[in-house]
Amino acid sequence: MNLTDEGSIIERCKRGDRDAFASIVQHYMKPAYYVALGYVGRPEDALDLSQDAFVNAFRHIKRFDSSRKFFPWFYSILKNLCMNHIARTRRRQESSIDQMAEEGPVPIPVETVDPEQNALRRDLEARVGQALQRLRPKDREIIILQHFQDYSYQEIADLLGIPIGTVMSRLYGARQAMRRELERLGVK
Amino acid sequence: MPDDTYKPLLMGYLDSELTEIEVLRMEQHLEQCPECRRELEEFRKLKEVTQNMRVVTPDARSWEEYWSHVYNRLERRVGWIFMSVGAILVTSYGVYSLVAKFLLRSDIPLVVRVGIVALVVGFCTLLISVLRERIFMARMDKYERIKR
Repeated sequence: MNLTDEGSIIERCKRGDRDAFASIVQHYMKPAYYVALGYVGRPEDALDLSQDAFVNAFRHIKRFDSSRKFFPWFYSILKNLCMNHIARTRRRQESSIDQMAEEGPVPIPVETVDPEQNALRRDLEARVGQALQRLRPKDREIIILQHFQDYSYQEIADLLGIPIGTVMSRLYGARQAMRRELERLGVK
Repeated sequence: MPDDTYKPLLMGYLDSELTEIEVLRMEQHLEQCPECRRELEEFRKLKEVTQNMRVVTPDARSWEEYWSHVYNRLERRVGWIFMSVGAILVTSYGVYSLVAKFLLRSDIPLVVRVGIVALVVGFCTLLISVLRERIFMARMDKYERIKR
């Protein structure tokens, strides 16, 4: 997860070097997408917002202290964009919550040779997707990073700019919420 | 409820993220605390349920094109600034020329002058409307590259 000599790459970005910024974008694009997905739920919006956040980051890169890690600073830009997007979407369509529940980050089915097993698996995955979508964005974000993308605690701590202890306590709260939602949907 | 100190550690224990000393501490606690054992079991089941599942991820092409989309947006912003400055200058000159060359000339009949104003206003309204529609459509279409 570490980018070699991030500080000097950021310094080059500050001088307007877009190639340097390309390496930052390529390094962080996936976690940026997953964080955005945790907030907004729809994959298309997550991709779009994460790209917008990089554009905003480059525009304000001169304000960034290059002795610090890039992603926690970038995360605050991304989070603001996502929150604005959620507020805008809610204003635009009153039924957004129902719609988001249907279009959320539904897990990808893992196909097996047995059709009956596949159907059961798909049903379970749909319920997991619904439960995930009903979580608070903050809980969904950490569940996506840890459960579905297998980031280590250290990687999550680095990405979100929080201590490992906070990763564990946030994960505890998020998993409890996830369990409650799954129980409500009949998954024991 | 399990002891608050052990709640976060329970997560670390489940995900094999604890140090050896922390694991020993946790195992000692688990022996004495049925509530924590029960919670650990429930979290383990949750982990099993979500095992091998992945959230929807853009396809390889989307990742390959990711930077070029960011780059285009960066470039486009600069383009928009120049476009806006240019549009303001040209429109101001156009309005000035229109007023000076046609609208203030008494030798051109009033009907023609009113007609010219109506034409200009109508053209601008249609242009803005079409542009707005195109921009809206472009926003809808750009999601085509996502593989569901």
